[in-house]
Amino acid sequence: MRTVKVLLAMGVCAGLAQQALAAGEPENVIKYRQSVMGALGGHAGAIAGVVKGEVGFTDHVAAHARAISETSKLVVEVFPEGTSDAAGFDTRALPKIWEDWSGFKEAAEKLEAESAKLVEIAENGGDTRAIGAQFVAVGKACGGCHKPFRAEKK
Amino acid sequence: MSGRVRSPRWRAATVAVIVAWSSPGSAASDPSVERGAYVFHAAGCLACHTDLKNKGAPLAGGRALATPYGTFYTPNITPDPEHGIGAWSEDDFLRALRRGLGPEGQPYYPAFPYTAYTGMSDADARALWAYLKTRAPAPRRNTPHALDFPYSIRPLMVAWKAIFLDAGVRVADAGRDEAWNRGAYLVNHLGHCGECHTPRNALGALKPGRHLAGNPSGPDGKKVPNITPHERDGIGDWSESDITFFLKTGFLPDGDVAGGLMTDVIEYSTSHLSDDDRAAIAVYLLNVEPHAGP
Repeated sequence: MRTVKVLLAMGVCAGLAQQALAAGEPENVIKYRQSVMGALGGHAGAIAGVVKGEVGFTDHVAAHARAISETSKLVVEVFPEGTSDAAGFDTRALPKIWEDWSGFKEAAEKLEAESAKLVEIAENGGDTRAIGAQFVAVGKACGGCHKPFRAEKK
Repeated sequence: MSGRVRSPRWRAATVAVIVAWSSPGSAASDPSVERGAYVFHAAGCLACHTDLKNKGAPLAGGRALATPYGTFYTPNITPDPEHGIGAWSEDDFLRALRRGLGPEGQPYYPAFPYTAYTGMSDADARALWAYLKTRAPAPRRNTPHALDFPYSIRPLMVAWKAIFLDAGVRVADAGRDEAWNRGAYLVNHLGHCGECHTPRNALGALKPGRHLAGNPSGPDGKKVPNITPHERDGIGDWSESDITFFLKTGFLPDGDVAGGLMTDVIEYSTSHLSDDDRAAIAVYLLNVEPHAGP
């Protein structure tokens, strides 16, 4: 019985390791993840310019919103275990992500929901006011995940 | 289901009657209460006086503030007569805000930002009191602070206040315009931004020569950014609309979002301000003395 348990445990460990390896070396996963996050931030920054009234590209918002919505679906996957700042890597991802995985997942999925709503508003000709209001909800979703799960800037 | 299903219109009428009935002039329609609600947001009372993390009742206190001096637990400021401030008079409340003294004359620790609130205008302070009285009472007993020695000796605060409390309502600077003065009032008094963004000396007082220059060890040991218009270390490259948009939405100019405690400040305080007030804050911040650091 004990042997079975040990074998099972070994199997689980091997499975997890394989999963992490499939994603890539931790350094590379982190670099990739930062590109993904940077892409989200880039599109959000572009929408902010429109919402603030600094630029008149209101008809671009739908494209940016779609990019955020599509990219948001990748977020959970780019956080394989063993890629936190506690593991010695140059990242602001806190170990709490994996300690509270369901909370993290829920927070990340909030961005999927809110950005999908922004796509809908922008695609249906919403004005900057309506876009702005939903954009605030998108920002809240970003912050709702960053606040508990991301370390402060060093 | 019984056969007596009320029509939606009927139900709406019932709701309207109940609403009209249950607000006898005092709460929603009293102008000073309305003003108090605005002051309440501008002064950021809720985020500190509510244990948000553990889903505590609003304003019932109990939120832990870890500092280099020990851990403070914010008190209950609901109108509960036993555990909150329901038995206080308006004068008790004004004395707490202006002089950092409790109803029995006990000195408060400056974790309660009375060094900032002391500058609150009379009308704002009284309106805030009127508003707090309309909140739901919560019978939560206060948690005693867990402070390190010697900060645990509360009477020491008498001396501390004699040195560091510059009590009195803010007087407008006649040499500056209205927006700047309003911004200074919001930043330095109601909003008490310096409580986190200005570093403290060994005695826990804000360093006057480092106003808003960032704090290497803010609440919960976290680094708090420099918000002076310093080009490299502060927000010198932010425009006025970058600041107002950030205070409204939490988005930084580069598309990233605020982290840490600032998310609470935005959610419970600055996002509730008027556009004019957010603009006044921006005008003031872009005109304070730039500092490098922290």
